[in-house]
Amino acid sequence: MNERLTADERRALLAGDGADAPPSESAEDLDLLAAVLADPATWAEPRPDLEDAVLRAVADAAPAAATRRPATGGTRRAQHGRSRRVLAAAVGVAASVAIVVGALAVTSGGGSGADFQSELSATALAPRARARVDVTHNAAGFRVELAAHGLRRLRHGAYYQAWLKNAHGRLVAIGTFSSSDGSIVLWSGVDPDEYRGITVTIEPDDDDPGSSGRRVLGGTLRAT
Amino acid sequence: MAPGYSAVLPFRYVTPAELDAFQRREPSAVRALYREYGRLVYAVAYRVLGRRDLAEDAVQETFVRAWQAADGFDVERDPAAWLATISKRAAIDIHRREARRPATGLIDLAADDPAVVTLPPDLGSVDAVWQVRRAIDQLQPDEATIIRMHHLDGMTHTQIADRLGVALGTVKSRSHRAHAKLASLLGHLTETVA
Repeated sequence: MNERLTADERRALLAGDGADAPPSESAEDLDLLAAVLADPATWAEPRPDLEDAVLRAVADAAPAAATRRPATGGTRRAQHGRSRRVLAAAVGVAASVAIVVGALAVTSGGGSGADFQSELSATALAPRARARVDVTHNAAGFRVELAAHGLRRLRHGAYYQAWLKNAHGRLVAIGTFSSSDGSIVLWSGVDPDEYRGITVTIEPDDDDPGSSGRRVLGGTLRAT
Repeated sequence: MAPGYSAVLPFRYVTPAELDAFQRREPSAVRALYREYGRLVYAVAYRVLGRRDLAEDAVQETFVRAWQAADGFDVERDPAAWLATISKRAAIDIHRREARRPATGLIDLAADDPAVVTLPPDLGSVDAVWQVRRAIDQLQPDEATIIRMHHLDGMTHTQIADRLGVALGTVKSRSHRAHAKLASLLGHLTETVA
């Protein structure tokens, strides 16, 4: 009972039981189809909780997408109502930003609003995580304020590390931290205009200075 | 259903109203789109990347990109081809990112790690994967299960009959019907993903 169907037998099933050998062109298609059907990728099923991770990632990206294009056609009325709410919210956010900027100006002698921003999306390693990033340029470099939520506290011997990445995939570390649910200030010596990618990874406390590749958050900085 | 052989979930069409809602970027439409095409998107990503964690990243990235481009989506077009294209590109981006990942000694990596296997995936077979996955999702669950047992597990009619606890003749007729429907759905594998 341990015998398996041979490739020829599987091709015969695909061609129709008892059918004559297919013409050469169809044989190529059958070979491809047989190979694809035997490929575990064809049958791979995502984990059930990936659906929620996808919805959160889209929700995180939604504000940026919504401001990129104007409303059209039948959606305009609904958009108008949303626009008023968004405008009211924006006024509130602007007021909050003004207060924060004012406070920063008092405490640090600088602060002119964020030069770059990003909403970071979670990966499957931390599906409940989210973060907002505001980058401001001053004489010392680029101040990266990371407001992260939903990152679990890591066990001893591991930490979170934030990175900027340029178009060639070059990574520059901008700081480490051990927990979220608060605002974290990191610093970058490279210009986010050239390093638009921003990620957060889980790193083991070892001698390896490179990225582990275990990404929990990721996004793209955009100039404001 | 025999232990260890979960049914392949049935296919459900996304309604035109849901596609319109997605084009308007209504959040409820994302769930509908994911439930219909999430497995297809995942299959494409998994074929390119060969790792579940990276494939899951690619699936998230795919739906984010689709969402961001939703107002340019043609509701008359098959969303499967559109999403498969986005998924393939997202997965290739991740593949390239992983291939460039620095500072891990090659000796520490698994043989199939993308950092080691830097050759691009066979993109022709990626196109075939999403088309076949799409067709499988349109089969009845019992038909898809038999197709899987034949082709993924290499089981004969007799072995399937024993495993499912049904008559050999029943398996043969279901198998014939499933293969005929699959052939009808696929026609030939000509459409490619851009």
